[in-house]
Amino acid sequence: MIQVKHPQDFWSGALFAVVGAGALWIGRVYAFGTATKMGPGFLPNVLAWGLVLIGLFLMGRALVIKGAPLSGSAIRPQAMILAAIFAFALLIERIGLAPTVVVVAVLAALASKEMRWKETIPLGIGMAVLSVLLFIYLLGQSMQPWAWSF
Amino acid sequence: MDVFSNLGIGFAAALTLQNILFCLMGCLLGTLIGVLPGIGPIATIAMLLPITYGLDPLSALIMLAGIYYGAQYGGSTTAILVNLPGETSSVVTCLEGYQMAQRGRAGSALTIAALGSFFAGCVGTIAIAMFAPVLAGFGEKFRSPEYFSLMLFGLVAAVILAHGSVVKAVAMVILGLLLGLVGTDTQAGVTRFTFGVTELYDGIDFVPLAMGLFGIAEMMSNLDRKFEDRSQTQKIGSLWPTREEVKLAIPAVLRGTGIGSLLGILPGGGAVLASFASYTVEKKVSRSRHMFGKGAVEGVAGPESANNAGAQTSFIPLLTLGIPSTPVMAIMVGAMMIQGIAPGTALITERPTLFWGMIASMWIGNAMLVVINLPLIGLWVSLLKVPYRMLFPCIVILCCVGAYSTGSSTFLVMMMGGFALLGYVFGKLGCEGAPFLLGFVLGPLMEENLRRSMVLSFGDPIIFVERPISLTLLLMSLGLVLMIVLPSFRKTRDVAFQE
Repeated sequence: MIQVKHPQDFWSGALFAVVGAGALWIGRVYAFGTATKMGPGFLPNVLAWGLVLIGLFLMGRALVIKGAPLSGSAIRPQAMILAAIFAFALLIERIGLAPTVVVVAVLAALASKEMRWKETIPLGIGMAVLSVLLFIYLLGQSMQPWAWSF
Repeated sequence: MDVFSNLGIGFAAALTLQNILFCLMGCLLGTLIGVLPGIGPIATIAMLLPITYGLDPLSALIMLAGIYYGAQYGGSTTAILVNLPGETSSVVTCLEGYQMAQRGRAGSALTIAALGSFFAGCVGTIAIAMFAPVLAGFGEKFRSPEYFSLMLFGLVAAVILAHGSVVKAVAMVILGLLLGLVGTDTQAGVTRFTFGVTELYDGIDFVPLAMGLFGIAEMMSNLDRKFEDRSQTQKIGSLWPTREEVKLAIPAVLRGTGIGSLLGILPGGGAVLASFASYTVEKKVSRSRHMFGKGAVEGVAGPESANNAGAQTSFIPLLTLGIPSTPVMAIMVGAMMIQGIAPGTALITERPTLFWGMIASMWIGNAMLVVINLPLIGLWVSLLKVPYRMLFPCIVILCCVGAYSTGSSTFLVMMMGGFALLGYVFGKLGCEGAPFLLGFVLGPLMEENLRRSMVLSFGDPIIFVERPISLTLLLMSLGLVLMIVLPSFRKTRDVAFQE
C-alpha cells in the first residue's frame, strides 16, 4: 500500500509540481527563442520544468523516507488575520483610513483568544489617529481620513 | 590616504542634523524590534519602505541600515534577560547569556554584548571603507557572464545556508526566480504571467511580497503557538564586568569580529551564520571549556561581536557589486530602486556622497546604539511587558497601510494577504523563505545577464567557462555543491543548525 511517510515533503513537492505545471501551461504561448536570441519563454520554461521535476522527486521520496508530521494549525487566528487584511482592502477606498483602521484592529485582535474589548477599542482608535497623522498629514499619501462612498 | 578623505566626505554628509535624526530613528526602531520577539528586521524594513518615498535617498538608506544593525544590538537584550531570541542572530546568545543572567551577571553580559558589538561595528565599518572600493574596482571588469556566474554563486550559497532540506531550498530559489519574472519582458515586449492584472505589468511589487511573506506570515505562525510568559525578566544587576570577565571577553570579541567580518561578505552569510560560527569557534578554543552551557563570557562576547560585524560587512557585496547576499540586503535593493538608485559598481564613483555617507552613518549609528542600549536598558525591558496581543494588530495595520500606499491600489493589499498565506504554508511545510526572496530579487537580473551573455557568445554557453573570473565563480559554486554532497560536511551543517 502506498503511504505518505513524510507529509511535509510530500505536500511541498505537490505545491512545487502544481505551480511548475501551471507555469508551463500559461507559458506555453511565450516564444522559446534560440540560444542566441532568447525568447520570453526560455527562462520561465526551464525554471518551470525544474520545479515540476523537483516537486515530483520530493513527492516520490516522501513515500519512502519518513519525516516529521505537519503541525496543527489554529484556524481562528489565521482566518481573522486574513479577514483583517481583506477588510482593509475592501474598506479603505469606501470609508477612509480612520474607520478602516479601527475595523482592522478589532478583526486582527480577535485572532487572539485573550482579546479584550477594553484594550482593543482604545488601541484601534489610537492607531487610527496615529496613522492619519503619520501617513496622511506627515507623509502626504493619497488617502482620505474618512469618507462615505459605497 | 584616500580612505580618510573619502570618509571625510561621508561624515560631512552624515553629520547634517536631518541625517543624524534619521540615523537615531533607525537605531531606535532597530533596537525596539530587536528587543521584541516575533518581529524582525526584514518585516520592519519592508513596512517602512513606503515611508521613505518622500525622503532624501541618503536619509532613507541611513535609517533603513540603522534598523538592521540596531536589531543586532536589541536582540541580545531579550536573549540575555528572557532567554528568548529577539532576532535569529541572537539565538546563540541565549545559550550563554541567559546562564550568565541566572548567575546574577546579566548587567555584565549586556555591557560585554554592547561594547563587543560596538567594537565589531567599528571594525566592520572600516572594513567596508577599505575593501569596498577595491572590490568595486574589481567589479568594473565584470560583464554579463561574470554577473550571471556571481548571482548563481550567491543563490547556491543561499541554498546551502538555508535551514533544513537542500532539495526544498533549491525549489524555493527556482520558485522565487519564476515569480521574479512576472511582468513585462522588456526585451521582447511581452507580458508574462500577469493574468491581465495591470498592477502586475511592472512585476510583482516587492513591498507587499516581503511584508506578507515575512511580516504577516511570521506573525501567523506565532499565533499558532502558545505564548511564552515574557514578564519574567532576570534582574540586571551591575553593568560593570569584572576584570576576569574582561580578560576572557577581549580575545573573544577580536575573534568574533574577524569571523563575522569575513562571513558577512560571503553571499548568504550575514549576521546569523556569523554568530553560529563564532560560538562554535569559542567553544573549541576556550580555556574554560567547562563553563560553556553555564554562562561562559566568551559565548556572549564572540557571537555578539560576530553578528554585528557580519551585519555591517554584508553591505559590501550590495554596495560594490549590486548583488544582495541576504534577504535584508534584498530589501535594501528594493529601497534603493524606490529612490531611483541602481546599486552596482558605479555607485562609489557616481554617488560618492551617498556611498560614503552611508558608511559614516554606520559608525555614528554604532556609537549611538551603545548609548541607546546601556543607560536606557530599563526602558527596553519595560517594553517587553507589552503583551503580544496588543502588538500584532498594530503590525497588521502598518502592513496594510504600507502595502496600499506603495501603489494606491487595493490589489496590492490583497496580494499581501495572499503572500501572507503562502508564507504561512511555507512555514508549515518546512520551506525556508530566504532563498525564495533572493531568487525573486535576482530573477530579472539573471535573465537579463544570461541573455546578454548569450548574445555576446552567439549562443555558445562556453562563454561562462572561457572567462577567468566567471570560471572561478562557477568553480566556487561547484565546490559548494560538492560540500553538500560530502557526508562529513552535511553532518556539521546539521549540527550547526541544531545548536
